[in-house]
Amino acid sequence: MSGTTRTTGMTGAAGAVDTAGAPLSAVPRRRFALPVGERLRPAGRNVSRVLVALLVLTTLVALLAPVLAPDNPIQPVGDLNLPPLSAHHLLGTDNLGRDLLSRTLIGLRASWFSALAVVAVGLLAGGLLGVVAGAFGGWVDALLMRFTDLFLALPGALVAIAVNAALGPGLLHTLIGVSVVWWPYYARIIRAEVRGLASRPHVEAARLAGAGRLRLIGRHILPGVVPTALVTASLDIGNVVVLLAGLSFLGLGQSAPAPELGADVQNSLYLLLGQWWIPIIPALTVMLLSLIANLGGDALRNLLEGDR
Amino acid sequence: MIRFVLWRTGAAAVLLVVLSALVFVLQQISPGDPARAYVGGNASPAAVAAAHHRLGLDRPWPQRYVRYLWHALHGDLGISLRTHRPVTTDLGQFLPATAELVLFSFVLALLLALLFALSGALRWPGTGLYRGVLLLAGTAPAFLLGLGGIVLFYGHLHWLPEAGRGVDTSSPTGFVLLDSLLHGDTGAFTDGLRHLLLPGLALAVAPAISIGRILRAGLERTFGADYVRTARSKGIREVQVLWRHVVRNSLDATLSMAGLQLGFMFAGVVIVENVFTWPGIGYYLAQSIPQSDFPAIAGVTLLLGGVYIVVNAVVDVLQAVADPRLTV
Amino acid sequence: MSAHDLPTPGTARAPGPEPGAASRSGSATAPAAGTAGPVASVRGLSVSLQRQGVRSPVLRGVDLDIAPGEIVGLVGESGSGKSVLAMTMLGLLPRSARPVITGSVHAAGTDMLHGTPAQLRAVRRSRLGVIFQDPMTSLNPTMRIGRQITEVTGDSGEAVTLLGAVRVPEPARRMRAFPHELSGGLRQRVMAAIALTGRPRLIVADEPTTALDVTVQAQLLALLADLRREFGCSVLFITHDLAVAAQITDRIAVLYQGRVAEIGPSAQLLHHPTHPYTAGLLGSRLSLSTPRTGALPTLPADGVPVAERLRGCAYHTRCPLVLDRCASQQPPATPVEGTGVLRACWRDSTAVRDIHRAVVPAEGLAAHAGPLGAVHPSPGGSGKPAADLAVEVRALGCRFHSRSGFEPRHTVDALQGVDLDVRAGEALSIVGESGSGKSTLLRVIAGLTRPTAGTVVLRGTAQMVFQDAGSSLTPWLTVGALLRERLRAAKVPPAEAARRTEEVLAAMGLPASVLKVRPGELSGGQRQRVALARAVVVPPTVLLCDEPTSALDASLAASVLNLIREMRRELAMTVVFVTHDLAVARLMGDRIAVMAQGRLVEQGDAHDIVTAPADPRTRALLDAVPRIDVPAARPATGPADRPEAAR
Repeated sequence: MSGTTRTTGMTGAAGAVDTAGAPLSAVPRRRFALPVGERLRPAGRNVSRVLVALLVLTTLVALLAPVLAPDNPIQPVGDLNLPPLSAHHLLGTDNLGRDLLSRTLIGLRASWFSALAVVAVGLLAGGLLGVVAGAFGGWVDALLMRFTDLFLALPGALVAIAVNAALGPGLLHTLIGVSVVWWPYYARIIRAEVRGLASRPHVEAARLAGAGRLRLIGRHILPGVVPTALVTASLDIGNVVVLLAGLSFLGLGQSAPAPELGADVQNSLYLLLGQWWIPIIPALTVMLLSLIANLGGDALRNLLEGDR
Repeated sequence: MIRFVLWRTGAAAVLLVVLSALVFVLQQISPGDPARAYVGGNASPAAVAAAHHRLGLDRPWPQRYVRYLWHALHGDLGISLRTHRPVTTDLGQFLPATAELVLFSFVLALLLALLFALSGALRWPGTGLYRGVLLLAGTAPAFLLGLGGIVLFYGHLHWLPEAGRGVDTSSPTGFVLLDSLLHGDTGAFTDGLRHLLLPGLALAVAPAISIGRILRAGLERTFGADYVRTARSKGIREVQVLWRHVVRNSLDATLSMAGLQLGFMFAGVVIVENVFTWPGIGYYLAQSIPQSDFPAIAGVTLLLGGVYIVVNAVVDVLQAVADPRLTV
Repeated sequence: MSAHDLPTPGTARAPGPEPGAASRSGSATAPAAGTAGPVASVRGLSVSLQRQGVRSPVLRGVDLDIAPGEIVGLVGESGSGKSVLAMTMLGLLPRSARPVITGSVHAAGTDMLHGTPAQLRAVRRSRLGVIFQDPMTSLNPTMRIGRQITEVTGDSGEAVTLLGAVRVPEPARRMRAFPHELSGGLRQRVMAAIALTGRPRLIVADEPTTALDVTVQAQLLALLADLRREFGCSVLFITHDLAVAAQITDRIAVLYQGRVAEIGPSAQLLHHPTHPYTAGLLGSRLSLSTPRTGALPTLPADGVPVAERLRGCAYHTRCPLVLDRCASQQPPATPVEGTGVLRACWRDSTAVRDIHRAVVPAEGLAAHAGPLGAVHPSPGGSGKPAADLAVEVRALGCRFHSRSGFEPRHTVDALQGVDLDVRAGEALSIVGESGSGKSTLLRVIAGLTRPTAGTVVLRGTAQMVFQDAGSSLTPWLTVGALLRERLRAAKVPPAEAARRTEEVLAAMGLPASVLKVRPGELSGGQRQRVALARAVVVPPTVLLCDEPTSALDASLAASVLNLIREMRRELAMTVVFVTHDLAVARLMGDRIAVMAQGRLVEQGDAHDIVTAPADPRTRALLDAVPRIDVPAARPATGPADRPEAAR
């Protein structure tokens, strides 16, 4: 919910650009050599692969959280306020004696999947709108984009709070509130990308070569949009994780006993100067998720740009 | 140019109407009865019904919306369900604290962003650590930065105060820093600053990175521009090349991003004020949410959203003024 | 690259692997320029740059002297290192390219490799001037013209004087203009004014006319020659076009793969080349006198890896006179007696002279007037029945509305009342400067742009070859997929499709392996061949070509033009060929149509148009075509006789 970094992915990197006319035209041009590894050294590419794999691993951990959690996250299972590295409780226990590791794992699962859901909805809804607007142009484009601009011009996070507050607490309401303000970014980015690609000569050339409208969109425009969309989305997961944690921190999220990272911080705020790890551990988990999403997204961009 | 200013002003007005409509719709679907706030929780059903009628809640919704808009324009945003005071009064009381925090934090963010972009684009030696720490902090939620700051600088080091605005919150303008400066009260000024530092920083980090990244990308793109090569070929000093030719042409995207980030800060401030019990609008909003005090929530949304819309319109106009290509 | 190999620009690393030729005496390289020492002197200069993590040599032992008041042409294809040489002389190599430099460079008395940044700035400020290639991007878009000049002079009176000196009309008023308010030609004049601040002794002009129309180019060349006379400065004039260099230079240096192949007085070098590369460049240059019959002369392409080429003479893989030792030993620069020419070639200069004679026809227009190709429909006869027409354009108009922000809309008439017939089987060239509407006309015929008035009748199918082949091929599809798509749309059965694909690639001189390759992995020339292959794999009735070779080096361009002519002959296609170059138009069209400002101003038989143009606008275009035998703007006297010129 704090200021959110929205990166537009690989804007303008559409396709291999002829490098003639670059300031240092003296370097010989590649012939049939594959451009793999041009951007990154092999080591860099391997690091990138590991970071992208981390995205998958996080999803796996979230998926298996109920299995991985050692205790019931809602029931008290030990003494109150145990510090981390206690016997049987790796991360200690909270103010009600619940196992912090279990709560963190289940909270992580909720955070991660909620973020994925918001990003997926944004990508699908915004993407569809963006493709339609970009591919058809004219009044369709104008109409859809004015509508999108309307949403973009409102302070998103604030509107999300208001929508959520009006609907009342609950995870579904939170997701609705955030999704409502989240798709316009995707519509904008994807529409711009589609417009950019559609105005390139290769689309005109394909049209002259006899490709129909659907084929033009499906084969000559969309494949160029996919990398940008994927990179934008993966970089965005971190933003959504942080935003959702913020809403949960304010009491807009799942209702009380269910473990949720933001709410757990809020509920143990009064322990900050005594058992500081109880509020800090779920907060750190949010940061970890956001960090993984950011690194993974950056790495994905590096890999995809290197392949172009 | 004038046409653009007129258009942009009109667009901002339309957006304000849309915002008010949105808030109105949300108010309609929200739980909680505004009439009850007027008459109190123990009032008889008849009294509630009378209040209903008096507030016009029994009329069809278009009329209610016009009435709502009319009242909002005259500064009547209803009664808070929690404080039982007019929302406008509450907002007036809490606004200066928030404004001070956001402005301070925004300036801080711009400074951090400038340092981030320049040190990165010019490859200043030894600044990699700064950028790394800032980037890392940028992935953290604002409440973690706030809590971490409190634990470290208050709990362990005792350098900075834990929360609040300081001892004297009865300053006449509501701006502690401004007042203490006007009165030459160094003690109060320092105290105010010490209270601002942690929440300001917690709020500034994320926008600083967003702005800094855009500015850095702009700088690096401009560094490769042909006209920068031309400037160097003239033999003018590198500092002049940097300020006259590079920075000047790198700012447009940065300005928009700064405007956008100010909007995000209005949301972030809710969390930061909550962490630091900063007596501002965000704290007010955070208190209102658990109580489902929708008139208060709606009032805050309208106020901050309105400021955001106006700020972005101003940024757009400034940008048009700054770019001669758009004003032929 | 290890860290110690990364100097900042302007610093040199002495111990390089490249010994370079020993320093030659100034008299050998800088002939006949009076007694004063050279304004600029380059000795044994080697530069390697790093790009995308790969370090490659760009200059490999270059010697060059520029005498006071002299205009030296530096000619080479893209990749020859000519711009890098210029930037090194100015101390402006980008740091990001991590240059490693050996040798010495002195300009206006300053060591440009070892000087302190302050010294380099001072010499650039007052002694050196630069004009860059693209006037659109080389001026700061947010700064007024006046400020960009006074930034150096500090004196607005001086700035107005300079604007006047470069023939900018109403200089005082233009001071307050922003670059986007000026035309390309005016902007380049402003660049010249900036270059003149501080009374430079040397102006480096890096392809200053490449982005300009031919008529504007001629004006700028004349201006440069005048400035040399008035200000007494030397000019290093960089170009890829020998004929442009021929217009104003006193001496020409031909650069190939980072080495000077040949350097000498312009007239000598252009008429009696002593290096096979110079002879090849001259021979493959398309001029108004190139024979229209038969294949256009080309330089063989170089398919050999660079590293292999650089062991001996870099040209040995393309040279028709290659000897055994050319592949292993680098030829040193040796003077040719009595000519002032230095050449780096193992062959005797007379042998080169022979191949030059064999290739190049006697200069002079109209030596060969015949129609081209094999399919030549009977020319003339305007009373042909309409069925014979492949394209019929009537009263065509095309109006664009450009909206810049919120200001009143501008309307541009890209086409106005154009009537044009293209007969079936005919080749028509459309010539015009940028903004003449020639490309718009082609796009309207292709159906890519909708006209706002008039009609176009196209009998049959049309395909188009675009200017930039790189961007006309879908980057993520393989060449095979691109060709298959076209065959599929034409409902060609699979077996037939495979055969045709094979045939078309063979015809284009492309290996079958390109089918599995994406366009980004091909060179510029190969991409244009693929684009052409896609256009003709199912032969269209009309082939539309939009400046398909303007982005290619001259030697590559000729081979693509040959392919288009061959395809036309074999497939009996109608060809409409758009170009800005009258010489190319003459070679590619039976007829030429000349366009200016959206109108068709003249059309007729190609030979008639270039020999007896009727319209003044055609004549202006024709006069502006740079010719090797007509030194239009060259002053009668040699290098400037008045170093202390008046304003």
